[in-house]
Order: sequence, then C-alpha cells, then structure tokens
Amino acid sequence: MSRKVLLHVGTPKTGTSYLQDVLFRNREVLAAAGIAYPASRHDSHFLAALDLMQLPWGGLQAEAIGAWDDLAGQVREAFAAGMTTAIISHEILATASRVQIGRALSSLGHGDGVEVHLVLSVRDLVRQIPAEWQENVKHRAQLGYGAFLDQITDPERGTRIGAWFWGVQEVPDILDRWGQDLPPDHIQVVTVPPPGGAPELLWKRFSQAFGLDGIDLDLEGERHNPSLGVPETTLLRRINRKTNAELPPADYRPLVRELLAHQTLSRRTASPRLALPPDLHPWVQELSASWIAEVEARGYDVIGDLGDLVGAPPVAEYADPDRPRERQVAAAAVDAITALLLDNARLRHDTERLHAELAEARGALERAHATPSYRVRRALVVRLEGGRAGRALLGLYRRARGRSSRSA
Amino acid sequence: MSTSVDTGRARAWGWVAHLRAGGTTPWLAWTAADAPDLGRFLPGAQQLELLRRLNLAGRPGAALVDRVVNASAPGRGRPDLELVGVDEARRFGPPAVDPAALPDEELLRVATGLLAAGLVERRGSAVKPGDPQHVRDARRRPRRIRTRYQLAGDPWLSAAHTTALVADGRPPGGGGRSVHVLGAAVPTMLAHTWAVGAFGTGTPSWPDFLARVRARRRLPLRVDLPGVVERFRARPHTGRVGVVLDLDALPRLVGVRRLDAVPDVPAHATELARQVGLALGLYVLPAEQTDLLGSVLRPRLERVSGMLPEVPPEHRDWVEDAAFAMRQRLLRAGYPVVGDPDVILAGWAGPDAGAEPGSSPLDLAIELLLEEA
Repeated sequence: MSRKVLLHVGTPKTGTSYLQDVLFRNREVLAAAGIAYPASRHDSHFLAALDLMQLPWGGLQAEAIGAWDDLAGQVREAFAAGMTTAIISHEILATASRVQIGRALSSLGHGDGVEVHLVLSVRDLVRQIPAEWQENVKHRAQLGYGAFLDQITDPERGTRIGAWFWGVQEVPDILDRWGQDLPPDHIQVVTVPPPGGAPELLWKRFSQAFGLDGIDLDLEGERHNPSLGVPETTLLRRINRKTNAELPPADYRPLVRELLAHQTLSRRTASPRLALPPDLHPWVQELSASWIAEVEARGYDVIGDLGDLVGAPPVAEYADPDRPRERQVAAAAVDAITALLLDNARLRHDTERLHAELAEARGALERAHATPSYRVRRALVVRLEGGRAGRALLGLYRRARGRSSRSA
Repeated sequence: MSTSVDTGRARAWGWVAHLRAGGTTPWLAWTAADAPDLGRFLPGAQQLELLRRLNLAGRPGAALVDRVVNASAPGRGRPDLELVGVDEARRFGPPAVDPAALPDEELLRVATGLLAAGLVERRGSAVKPGDPQHVRDARRRPRRIRTRYQLAGDPWLSAAHTTALVADGRPPGGGGRSVHVLGAAVPTMLAHTWAVGAFGTGTPSWPDFLARVRARRRLPLRVDLPGVVERFRARPHTGRVGVVLDLDALPRLVGVRRLDAVPDVPAHATELARQVGLALGLYVLPAEQTDLLGSVLRPRLERVSGMLPEVPPEHRDWVEDAAFAMRQRLLRAGYPVVGDPDVILAGWAGPDAGAEPGSSPLDLAIELLLEEA
C-alpha cells in the first residue's frame, strides 16, 4: 500500500492560514477518508517548523521543543493505523536549509517506502512585497517601507529582512532546496489567482493539490490573516517604535497584533491599500518572468496558471506609506484608541467583579477566623514566635504534628 | 565532458576534504580540483569557514569536524551560503561568497548553535560544589545559629553572594531579617543586570539593552537602590534595611568571616553567553537554560580576562544623570548606607580599566569548541 506525505512548505501570504484552518477543523472527516492532518492545536505545524529550523519566535520556541519529531512520529503512527496520506503545512518551512530539509524528509520516511510530495503555493511579487512588509510591521518591525524595499532589492541580501524575504519568496530557490531529492512530478506549484477573481478558485486549486475533491469539508472557517491599509500600517509602525522597549511579546500579540491590527484596523477597508511602488514594477516583471521560465523548464506539476505570477500593473494613485496623509493616520489612531478604551472598560468590569468575589471570599475567611478557639491559637503562636524558646517549642510541635508548613 | 560546474564542485569537495584533514588554506587560494563528492550537497560557506578557523586555532577532533560540517545556524540570519566560483551560472538563491570575507556574526551563529548543543549533551553531569544541586543539598542543612539576612540590589552580586552563603548553610530569610541592598557604580550595575539576563532567559544585545533602559526613562527596578529599600521597608517581618556600597563590610553584616569577591565576566564572554542562550532556548525550557548557562558555562567564562561592557558616549549623559539622582535620593531619604555614596556615580575610566582588552566572542567560541572536543 503506498504511503504519501503532502508537504506544503509555503509561501507566506498565499491563503495558507485559511487552508490550515480548514484542515485542522476537518481532521476527523479527513481521517475517515484516509488522510491524516496530525495536529493537536491550530499552530502545531508552526511549532514543528520552528523546531526543525531552530528559530526563536517571541518566546514560542519553548513550546516548540521536540515538536518536529512529535509531528513526524504522528505521521508514522497514522500510516501504521492504515491511513494512506498525511498532510503537513506551514509557510515558514520555505526557508529551511538543505541540512534541515534532509532531516525533515528522512524523519517522514522518504527513501524508506514513503513518497514525499512537495506543494508550494505562490503569489505574484506585486502583492507579496507590500504584504511581507506589512507582516514585518505586525511582528514589531519599525522600519519604513522605503528601508524595507532597499533591503530586499539589495542583491547581497545581507540583512535579516533581506535574507528572510528571499528565503520564503524566491520560488525557484525554494523548489531547488526542497526538491533536491524529489522527482519533478512529485512537486506541485499552486498559483494564487489574480485579484478580483472568484474567491473559491484558490480553494479549488488547493483541493486538487491535496486530493481533497469529493470530501465533504466544512469550509466556513474564520481564521485568516487580514491586511491593513496604508495609514493603518503606518500607525502600527509608529506604535512599534514607541512600545517595543516596554511591551513584552506575550502582551504585544493579544493587544497590538490581535486587538489593534486584526480586530480593529483591518476593518478600515476604505483607506488606501498598500502597493508596490510604480518604479519597481519593471524590476519585478523581469524577475517574475525569469521565475516563470525556470518553473516551466523544470517540468513541475502546475495547478493554476504560471501567468498569475506576473501580477497587476502599477496602481493609478500610489499611496506612499512613508509619506502618509496624517489625517488618515489620525483617524485610524482614533479607532485604535476607541478599541483600547472599550477593551479597557471590559477589563475594568472584570476587575470589579473579581474584587467583589475576592471580598466575599475574604469575608467568609474572616468569619471562619473569628471563632474564639482560632483567636486563642493565633495569639499563642504569635507569642511563641517572639522568643527563641517559643520558636523551638513550635518547631517541636510542628515536627510531632508531621507538617513542614510554618503556618499554625 | 566535464563542465565548469563539475570543475567548481570538484574543487569545492577537495577543499572540504582538505579542511576535514585539518587544512587551513583559504577557499580563494585553493586550486586543486580532483576530489569526488563527499555528500549530497556541499556544506555552507559559514560552516566551512568556521572549520578553517578551528583548524587555525587548534586540532578539532573528528566528531567536532562532523558536527561543524553538518550544522545549520540557528535563528534568523543569512541562509547557508554557496562558495563563490563553484557555480557561476547559478541564477537563483543568495549570492555565493568568499567564506574568508564573511562577518564574524555569521560564523558565530553556527558556533553558538554547536556550543548550545554541547551544553545540552552535558546535562546531568556530576554535581560540583557551587552547582544548584549542591546548593539545594546544602539548603537542607542550615546552621542552627546564623544571622538573619536577605541580599537585594545589584542582581549579579546579590545572587552570587546568596548562593555562597546558602552553600555555607546560611540561607536567607527569617522574621526580622536585615536586608542589605548591594550597590556599585551605576554603569557596573547596568552591566551586571545585562549579564544576569545573558546567563538567564535572555536579554537584548548590550547596545539594545541600554537603548531600552533609556527609553523606559528609569533604571532597572533591581538597581534602583532607593526604590529597593522602600519596597523592602514596606514588607512585614523585615528588620533593618540599608544600602551596602562597601562590599568589604558585607561579611560582618551577614555574620561570616569572609566572602569571596564575585568574579565578573567580561563583555565579549557575556555576549557569547547571551548568544549561546538564544540557541539553548531552542533545546531546553527557560529554567534549564538558566541552570546550564549558570552552572556549566559561567564558571568557564569567569576565567576569561577582559573588561565589563562600557557605556558608549551617546548614553553617558543619561547614565550620569541617573546616578547623580540616585545618590541624591539616597542621601535625602536618610537611608542607612555602608560605604561612600559617591561610589554610585558614573566614572568613565571603565569599570575594569586595568584589565586587558578581551578577544572577540567568535575567538572565545572557537576556544570553547576546541576544549569541548
């Protein structure tokens, strides 16, 4: 019986959050169809990727220790239980090194009777470049759009941002690293349709790539990675500059990324959208054309159309995030303050309720302590603790009683 | 018919074999092109250059050579890079490099990953005096007659002295205990606070650490000496609370004849510990990270000579102001102070001006890797 691992390694911003949410919520339906999606929590594959690639991630790395080996073990167990296919998906796997890829493939049974099929979803650079900058800002980056573009257009790729961007976005290089030990017909490239197309088209392509056609899946997921406009991203960057020194990652995630970015600012859809600067379009077109030619030449299985990688033409009115309209930023800031105030009010009500519960508990405790016998015992202990002989006597009593606690 | 890529690859595999055998020839000076492939893919330029530096510094064993060649650098940074001249026709991926021109940080990422893995392998090694386990053993046998005390303030000094006293059967605490808030020059206390983070669960680099303290507009809570005194005075069951700036007086205050001075770890060694800690956090939980860094790495790094990190000129104004303000608050509040309050003030001759300047974190990492092997 053939056993197959479908390994989806990227790229970011290609609908991966939605895909992973559908797979996670439909684990049981998939299992009934002989497909394993081994995950005990939404971010199980993210943690496994962090572990495989030895990446620190705002304190999450402690939760990731051993996660890749656990995941590979669950894949082997699924095969032992009779499943024929296992799916692993996380977009940051795109940047793994050859050594890490070798370890990943070997742990999944590649070369030992298991067929590993690689899936890479790709989107045009016209959308990916601004989206990656925004993702950086949502992960506490303080650099402006211009500085970001300077770093990614530097051919040396010597900075962390430049190295990371191309590590997760340079399609031929990702396929080169991950596909080194795989035959080309085991590699599938899924293209993201151009903007304005039917929203379900991308899912149909994913469904085809992962062999999900004909399985009755619940597709009404809520998890997605919403995008922000120009003034909203600028506001977030300014917040990062002010708060990075003081706000720990554990607080940044729920307050800034979730409450402000995802739940508040992403709802402001009327503001100017982030875009690729018009002067970079010729460079992006040339680069995309070379990628398309390379992928075609290698003979991979393409689901969609490689022409999707060309991207849209330059926008008519480009809004520069480094020179935003301050009125728009101020309006976004008012929305942000409102959201924080409402959240703060909710927390105040929670605090008041908890104070009331605590006072009630204290009252009950005091009533219990108000009994005459308790008062006598307490006075005796206080008196004994005041002198060396008394403390020794108390020590003897506590040892005889068999408790290590110092309380009376 | 062999292509230029075949020739380049054969030359590269020849260089790998040369380095594996202990060679030190730089890549650009390597011309022999007659070696077969030794693996599925060539190791990265960072790994190979680190191996060459190890060969220059000593004789790494076969196991260490294997570990270096098969390593991946942890954390974010440049990916494993190709050697320049191997595949000139390559159109994708990061640009190929001359490994000798790589910055130290790239090699250090690989080296700290290896050192962290080495620390993990040494888990469960024998308990030595001063180890946390030893301290826990000692804590079970406190002396019957001892002075009640608690140390606070400078976290490097207070933790080390407390550990030594606990090992001597003198655990802190007890009703009516005296609290001694240990202090030093503000630049030294900042360096100590940074070092505690580096040997603990992590801290930013020294420049970033200073920038964060400045942005917060207040010194770290533990070295805000008047603030520490105030907090302890507000606690019940606390006796006298005072500041100790003359550490020679500390043994008398805690009821012992002598206390060994707490050794400092120089800046470059602390930076190495910080980076090893970053990699170690990928293998073990925070408590064990602190334990391994403190009980295995720190004793070794305490033997390294060099200076504490210096406050760079752009930060000196606010550090001077903070030190002066702290001295004034201490004097105005009338808190008991053992020693000269002027000790707190910042001086810029360097906290350890007599010491030799240290080597780089990379040199030290190479030294430690060779010792491990």
